[in-house]
Amino acid sequence: MAWSHLIFDTLLCFLLSRFFLVIYRSFRRSERPMRRDTETCSLAIFLGSGGHTAEASILLSALDFSRYSPRTYIVSEGDELSSQKAVALEHLESAKITPFDDAAEGRLNYRLMRIPRARYVHQPLLSAPFTTFKCFLACVRLVTVVPLFQKTAPGKPFVDLLIMNGPGTCVPLCAAIMLNRLVGLPTPRMVFVETFARVQTISLSGRILCRIVDRGRSRLR
Amino acid sequence: MLVFVTVGSTRFDALVQTAISEQVLDALHKKGYRRIAIQRGNSDLGMDGGDNGQDLMVFETNGMEVETWKFKTSILSDIQRATLVVSHAGSGTILDALRQGKPMIVVPNPTLLDDHQGELSSRLDALGYLKATTVNNLAVTISAFDPSSLIPFPPFDGSRFRRLIDQEMGYSVSSS
Repeated sequence: MAWSHLIFDTLLCFLLSRFFLVIYRSFRRSERPMRRDTETCSLAIFLGSGGHTAEASILLSALDFSRYSPRTYIVSEGDELSSQKAVALEHLESAKITPFDDAAEGRLNYRLMRIPRARYVHQPLLSAPFTTFKCFLACVRLVTVVPLFQKTAPGKPFVDLLIMNGPGTCVPLCAAIMLNRLVGLPTPRMVFVETFARVQTISLSGRILCRIVDRGRSRLR
Repeated sequence: MLVFVTVGSTRFDALVQTAISEQVLDALHKKGYRRIAIQRGNSDLGMDGGDNGQDLMVFETNGMEVETWKFKTSILSDIQRATLVVSHAGSGTILDALRQGKPMIVVPNPTLLDDHQGELSSRLDALGYLKATTVNNLAVTISAFDPSSLIPFPPFDGSRFRRLIDQEMGYSVSSS
């Protein structure tokens, strides 16, 4: 009986100390590992539907695709428009980088991942916790489970950088990442860009996430 | 002359129904428009017999040729061929139309969370980039609309975002 107490107490101490370390680090928010110009950096961008996808595509088009590679587009289940926009953006950008290079064709530097939506448009907020939890489980699978079994780079986070711009499904995604930080697994740097549409009041996601992400940007300040 | 009406990826029954109402079509006709294309998403046209689940519909009414469909992968070509864009106040559509340099009238969809479309339309109207109105005032706004009074929308400058991300990921960023 004493053993089970010992194990339980050890685990509790470990989790508590990780918890405080993570909170402490999130207040410091520095520690940027330096990268050489030639190093690539994998990124994931969340494409919430509608205007979020449009804005996310615009933001992504500002980045150097040869530097930020490979790219992961996270879309909500059932959102075919966003998937198509992601593919269209990739074709557009690959034409810019290697317009006449036949050897470059067929080299896919991106992938699409689908997760259930945390909240559907017009869904009452009261039922949102249930759909959000289902989404959270899927995010945990994407963020924690899949990288653990990756053959190419086990022990690396699922991407180096995660960019989000406001849709509600971002919150469970961030929660899954914070869970990783809590247990000491490697995680991406998170950047939140408030959506262009939020002029006077910050979005609900923004209110929740600005405490957690590594860098947040909004026009409201 | 063609006017393009769009509701984006969701549903906005009121806008779609007012777009084919007599008052709005008359106002457009008086301004010289003869064709109207409506991207209606999941909205209900409110016509007798409904649309029978059909996607594309073409008909004539009030001297105007009406073309309507539910969704397309990209509405950029429809924006490009339009003389006027009447749209829900979704940020994606607004950015698309303003960057194509099209005169724009926006109608916020008040059923969305926090009425965020209302904030965005008011701000952009106040800045002079477009005209914001409501479903009930659409005909009046069209009659009074003067595209030459609008201010051109500035082009996208991605350099700030690029620098921010490069900096965040530890790449050397030249100070300028």
